[in-house]
Amino acid sequence: MFEKILIANRGEIALRIQRTCREMGIATVAVHSVDDSEAMHVRLADESVCVGGGGGGYMDVGAIIEAGRLSGAGAVHPGYGFLSENARFARLVGECGMVFIGPGPEQLEVMGDKAAARRAAVDMGLQVVPGSGGVVGDVEEAIAAGERAGWPVMVKAAAGGGGRGMRVAEGPGDVGRALEVASNEARAAFGDGSVYVEKYLARPRHIEIQVIGDGAGGCVHLFERDCSVQRRHQKLMEETPSPALVAGEAERMAERVAAALGGMGYAGAGTVEFLYEDGEFYFIEMNTRLQVEHGVSEMACGVDIVREQIRVAAGEGLSLEQGEIERRGHVLECRINAERWESGGKFLPSCGEIVRYHAPGGTGVRVDSALYGGWVVRPFYDGMLAKVMTLGEEERRSGESAAERRVRARAGCLARMRRALGEMVVEGVDTGIGLCSRLLEAETLRRGEAHVHWLEGYLARGMEEAGEGAEA
Amino acid sequence: MSGVGFLEKRLQLLARILEEKNLHEIEVSFWGLRFRMAKEKKGDGLSASMSVPAAPLAATPVSMPVAASSHEGASADESKHPGVVPSPMVGVVYLAPEPGAEPFVSEGDKVEKGQPLMIVEAMKTMNMISAPRSGTLLRLLVENGQAIEYGEPLLIIE
Repeated sequence: MFEKILIANRGEIALRIQRTCREMGIATVAVHSVDDSEAMHVRLADESVCVGGGGGGYMDVGAIIEAGRLSGAGAVHPGYGFLSENARFARLVGECGMVFIGPGPEQLEVMGDKAAARRAAVDMGLQVVPGSGGVVGDVEEAIAAGERAGWPVMVKAAAGGGGRGMRVAEGPGDVGRALEVASNEARAAFGDGSVYVEKYLARPRHIEIQVIGDGAGGCVHLFERDCSVQRRHQKLMEETPSPALVAGEAERMAERVAAALGGMGYAGAGTVEFLYEDGEFYFIEMNTRLQVEHGVSEMACGVDIVREQIRVAAGEGLSLEQGEIERRGHVLECRINAERWESGGKFLPSCGEIVRYHAPGGTGVRVDSALYGGWVVRPFYDGMLAKVMTLGEEERRSGESAAERRVRARAGCLARMRRALGEMVVEGVDTGIGLCSRLLEAETLRRGEAHVHWLEGYLARGMEEAGEGAEA
Repeated sequence: MSGVGFLEKRLQLLARILEEKNLHEIEVSFWGLRFRMAKEKKGDGLSASMSVPAAPLAATPVSMPVAASSHEGASADESKHPGVVPSPMVGVVYLAPEPGAEPFVSEGDKVEKGQPLMIVEAMKTMNMISAPRSGTLLRLLVENGQAIEYGEPLLIIE
């Protein structure tokens, strides 16, 4: 086992990795920027090395590797973001005599390339959102793609993003018009009018499967997470099990994913993300690292994913088998960001000194945060202040079906989250605590029916539910 | 890490190429570092310089890390001295051009802007730290072979 690990990250995730290291008796080396020298992840580390000024230090491959070598670290944990999916960094860490805690550089490269990742997924027997598979030249080509994918379809700008250059075509008759409008919009917005065609998913859920591979053909899964409550592709809440899936549905997909990744010799933690609609899973991408919301699965399954990552990297293999992993209840996570919400669904980041901080506690509550009173939230980094997770235990009652039990566990989990957020105090910056509390009262969310477009629509309507039948 | 030997070999190689090809100046860069060797106009002396991209050398306010294990020597007061020259990178300090040689500078020396002060080895690359301004070298805050972090005070020029 490693004696010392360098953690190439900051904030709550650096602290979270440190905690496991400490429990395993491994010394930690923190890296930090000049501005972060008072940060919690630096204060609690055994050693620290300043690697740069401003926001750039955490991306400085040379400085971080040098810090690892000089401090005598045996391994580097990249956390999430920054260098966590950087194949060149992973390779250099290895060449400099340390172990990169994560999959090999080749696996990072494949999954980091969108087209290569889709090919790999198809090879694994997963489906991607059907469509033209590339830019369509004319209306006939677009109609043919629509016939193959199934109507309705979305005509999307190849250079796109942010909802511009997108039009829905209900059937072959709409394609000409949709193509023209989307293409013109795309040309105006991105300077490139090329478009492609994809099956239109009206109310998809974001479902992801958490896996941990041992690098030698073994791979376990920790079931699914449902991360459908999001805005502008930023997740706000995540939960497991997904209320959208029927019993066994997630398990079957999770088993397929774990078997496929085991077959690839995948090493470490990974997440395969899908859009889910009408019983079909469509592969989006794979994240070859620890994820922000990994704690949801940890809390539900009683597994320390970071510990397993470190064990695999040290060549000790996984500490558990699939048959030993089960969910003990329902877990929900709320990400508490430093931001101000304005009516109409607009968010502005909030910075400043944290004057007062009090974290919630009690049974079934986990808070991952690097916050403390006196800490200054700065604009260079992402504004997530804390992740609050709550567990709703599954209790057996006679005469109750498994589905009823799951619903009751979820209701208990949500009630506990409302209680926990009510205890939480953050003064000095605007936070999303109030927003999350209000969302927990929303009927759609309480019923577990939020799809990926729900939150944006709900906020845009001033927190009104859509009328009967007017989904999204 | 056979630090100084690496620099020496590189310098000799550059000097040889310069002579053999009858060049006036030669410049190589790798890892974001620039290495330049030029013949002086008067006489046939050679001068070599190695520089890092300008930005890191700009003096930024230095705050000492809380739990750093790797540095000793600099007292809190000295690290706050306005004449402090901070390290532009993480690495190992060498005070002399090669083992056993005279150090580049000693306390009390007058230094000229651009004069070599020490070498910081980072990622197997030797980086010359030059004086950012002229003045008197008041204090050397690091020892030969010491590991240093970004922004760590190296010396004080007054």
